[in-house]
Amino acid sequence: MDYMYPSVFLAYFMFFVLTLLTLVWLIMSRKQGFWGKNSEEPKYRMMRDDDEGNYNG
Amino acid sequence: MPEDTSRVQASPSISAGGAAVVHEDTTAKWFLISSIAYFFIVGIIAVTIAAKFVWPQLLGTVQYLTYGRLRPLHVNGMLFGWLLAADMGLAFYLIPRLCGVKLWSEKLGVATAALWNVIVLGAVVMLLMGYNQGLEYAELPTWEDVLVVIAWIMFGLNIFMTIASRKYDQMYVSIWYIMGTILWTAFVYLTGNFAVLFATGVNQANLNWMYVHNAVGLIFTPIGLALAYYYIPKASNSPLHSHKLSMIGFWSLAFVYVWTGAHHMLHGPISQWLQTISIAFSVMLLIPVWAVVYNFFATMQGQWHQLRENVPLKFLMSGVVFYLLTCFQGPMHSLRTVNAIVSKTDWIPGHAHMAVLGAFSFFAIAGTYYTVPRMFKCKLFSDTLANWSFWFLMVGGLGFFVTLWLGGFWQGWQWNNVSIPFIDTVKALQPVWLVRFFSGILMFTGIVSFAYNILATIVGAKDNPEAA
Amino acid sequence: MLRKADSNFAFAVGAALLFFFIGGILTTVVPPLVDKSWSKPFENSDPSQGATGKLVAYTERQLKGRAIYVREGCWYCHTQQTRTLLADTVRSGWKGVRSPISTPDEFVYDYPHMFGTKRTGPDLSRVGGKYDTQWHRTHFRNPRDLVPGSIMPPFPWIVENPEEFTALVDYIQTLGRAKNWRPNGDYEK
Repeated sequence: MDYMYPSVFLAYFMFFVLTLLTLVWLIMSRKQGFWGKNSEEPKYRMMRDDDEGNYNG
Repeated sequence: MPEDTSRVQASPSISAGGAAVVHEDTTAKWFLISSIAYFFIVGIIAVTIAAKFVWPQLLGTVQYLTYGRLRPLHVNGMLFGWLLAADMGLAFYLIPRLCGVKLWSEKLGVATAALWNVIVLGAVVMLLMGYNQGLEYAELPTWEDVLVVIAWIMFGLNIFMTIASRKYDQMYVSIWYIMGTILWTAFVYLTGNFAVLFATGVNQANLNWMYVHNAVGLIFTPIGLALAYYYIPKASNSPLHSHKLSMIGFWSLAFVYVWTGAHHMLHGPISQWLQTISIAFSVMLLIPVWAVVYNFFATMQGQWHQLRENVPLKFLMSGVVFYLLTCFQGPMHSLRTVNAIVSKTDWIPGHAHMAVLGAFSFFAIAGTYYTVPRMFKCKLFSDTLANWSFWFLMVGGLGFFVTLWLGGFWQGWQWNNVSIPFIDTVKALQPVWLVRFFSGILMFTGIVSFAYNILATIVGAKDNPEAA
Repeated sequence: MLRKADSNFAFAVGAALLFFFIGGILTTVVPPLVDKSWSKPFENSDPSQGATGKLVAYTERQLKGRAIYVREGCWYCHTQQTRTLLADTVRSGWKGVRSPISTPDEFVYDYPHMFGTKRTGPDLSRVGGKYDTQWHRTHFRNPRDLVPGSIMPPFPWIVENPEEFTALVDYIQTLGRAKNWRPNGDYEK
């Protein structure tokens, strides 16, 4: 009965805590406005090459 | 390659033009050239050991060329000589561009490349002579390990100093992944090559598997994804779907991967609770993987037609599919029931090759095809040959993966039926190994056409300058 | 906080390392502290608690043989673990007797460990005492003489070197012997 060991329940408990933390983290970031336009900035900038003579073909 | 500039120009932030930075790329060039040379040389060894499965007497009386010595050379040569070196070379190309500044020190970079070559050539001699430490992925003797650490510090210093002096505040996701690679590799490598020396038996095995698993998970995965995150938007000329989603993929990878080492010893002589933890975290790996893969597919939305013409994009997107598959297999065969069938069979090399060749080498090849003409400011030698190299690697790779999965599953069933003598399970796999050998030949042809194409591009760069 | 993580270099480095170390420490440093059997040599004289026997350290010659086993990469194709699977205990068994499963305390003198990941050839965790020296001599010279269909490479340079050959066979005969699992101690020499 592997799944009845106390250590396994400890593992389940840890996963539960992790899930909770993830949710808190997501909600917090939502409130702080992380999911705005601002944080998508880098993906547009990386499309632009700033060195000369770049090859775009 | 069809140009779709309208999409890029529609984005809000592409208007401002910064001062032009001239990148030298000397380091990137040296790393790429030497890694491609090793790709070719180690490819010969790969085909040889595949042949030894079919003709076990082949080169059998030469002790320096016996299977047990060529296999570590194949693994170390491909991982460190080709893939990691190519990844480092491409990192040296893309980090300065993403930061908008020059590389911190080209001299240090070239010295790193030189040291890396010393390490790889030393490894060839040591492994053929039989100086093998006996730990998987950590076969090289300690003096080599010390050199690797020094080279890694040189690489890390150079990249970190470049990032620290970056022009743009927010870091693009590729920078994150490369930073993560450098940090995690340092500790993973120290564990796998130095900490193991102070342990025996199961203690040592646990450290060893932590290293083996994270060599793939926290070295090749993050640096490979860094390349994919850079080259997929670049090669398809479409901005990444979501930068925020990529962050979720990054942080969940950082947290989840390191726990899974013990799944290499499922059912083995290692504590059950540790096996259970490793299984649970292996399944959780689906989170970072699907976050990443969704992002790539969504980036390609409406752009799939580009796959017809665009060879780097072909490599990239089939690499993404292989990445998705390999990272679905991983969690699945860490489940105890599935593991009882596939573990220790030929399924495993099929799985490992799909990760390292199918996904991460494809990313590196795509990066090379995209980068080399830009670094040398010329056109690729032949787009047709590049297309052929893709199909050779693709068909050879698929032949390799699929036959080994089927063969491995079959082998696992046979092993679990104790009425079949072991030697009969060996004989049964002969056809599988024959197909694997011919798939290997196809893949090697792909490597040769890739290497030749790049070489011819570099050699012909001066005669064939691209009109700017 | 997340905005900070997005652009603050030191914060990113710290967080990436913290995340890594939580898992790293819990799966590498903690287990041997919790599970003492990982570092305690096997010893059991009570038949009611499974196979009896005692793990002894390798002799100098056995260590030499082990070094040859490592050098030639035998461990790339031969595992040394009888897993908790019925088929493994039967296949590691001999003459109708199933072998006991491998336990961590049988391996404390193994340096480097030789558990292996790939079973191209049969598992060797209980091979000690199954075949005699003459069998091994013939087998190392050309495995196909004894086992038609085998794909094991020949090792003539070991057979032709009596010192290496005796050391290697001496080592192989120790495998799985800590647990005295044969009913009448019918081991070959």
